[in-house]
Amino acid sequence: MAPISVGDSLPDGQLGWFDENDQLQQVSIHSLAAGKKVILFGVPGAFTPTCSNQHVPGFITQAEQLKAKGVDEILLISVNDPFVMKAWAKTYPENKHVKFLADGVGAYTKALGLELDLTEKGLGVRSRRFALLADNLKVTVANIEEGGQFTISGAEEILKAL
Amino acid sequence: MASVLARRARGSAAAALWGAARGFASVGSDIVSAAPGVSLQKARSWDEGVATKFSTTPLKDIFHGKKVVIFGLPGAYTGVCSQAHVPSYKNNIDKLKAKGIDSVICVAVNDPYVLKGWAEKLQAKDAIEFYGDFDGSFHKSLDLEIDLSAALLGRRSHRWSAFVDNGKIKAFNVEKAPSEFKVSGAEVILDQI
Repeated sequence: MAPISVGDSLPDGQLGWFDENDQLQQVSIHSLAAGKKVILFGVPGAFTPTCSNQHVPGFITQAEQLKAKGVDEILLISVNDPFVMKAWAKTYPENKHVKFLADGVGAYTKALGLELDLTEKGLGVRSRRFALLADNLKVTVANIEEGGQFTISGAEEILKAL
Repeated sequence: MASVLARRARGSAAAALWGAARGFASVGSDIVSAAPGVSLQKARSWDEGVATKFSTTPLKDIFHGKKVVIFGLPGAYTGVCSQAHVPSYKNNIDKLKAKGIDSVICVAVNDPYVLKGWAEKLQAKDAIEFYGDFDGSFHKSLDLEIDLSAALLGRRSHRWSAFVDNGKIKAFNVEKAPSEFKVSGAEVILDQI
């Protein structure tokens, strides 16, 4: 699958999520994104440095500004199970808006064409680092990193595009 | 959630002959030869991974010439694993060492970075060595793999424990369902050493 790009439609897929009441849910991307402006950003792995210390905090701290510019949902996905995502989310007690969604076996990441083989680092097949802006399921911004660096996929770049 | 796991496991457990020849791992078999070419990954930070060039630990380094108690569980940060299974070994570490055990190892199908985070959260890093079977090959070789997709975990491991002396399995306990915690705790294995 070619990586998702501007003009494409966000594919649908099921992601795992422990909701506000601590219930394990399967949510569909379309149910969260249809008719709305959403940010979908992805990271290679929970509990790894760039993801934890730079990428995720950026979206957490800029969440209010992003919402003020009309963003309805800020969705984080990673190829991790929902228990790990929940534990990782708990390390950000200040987080109010970012939803930590689990793409347990990487099916949604694959549908986006954004898989990255990190087997030699002990992670298996994960996601590339990226940030997308979608308006009623149509991708309007697609910032996808090469490798594991963190240059264009942060909250700042999305803010500029809004 | 536990009931989801139990329902799912009973379906596949019906086919998995409990007690009878458990595939490649059973009392008397050699754990290293049962899983040739398999390595595990010590729980570590990313920086430690970079510094060691993401090296892995071959099974023989873990088991040869040592008395090891090893236990496996479905997943880091999940209920029974966090609240009962790991604490059981953490709280009995002195008794295990008094019986001549060189290392107590916890293994799960998780990556080593998640495992390090979890081990620190449970404050168990000093007592127990955590290893990741990140692609499930260790558990697959020992026929301890289980599909927990119903709980959104994918392919994981059963809940189990073993006493391994210089690579030879001397005691081997596997729960009937991963949500149960009856035979795989420290108290049981202490009597089997």
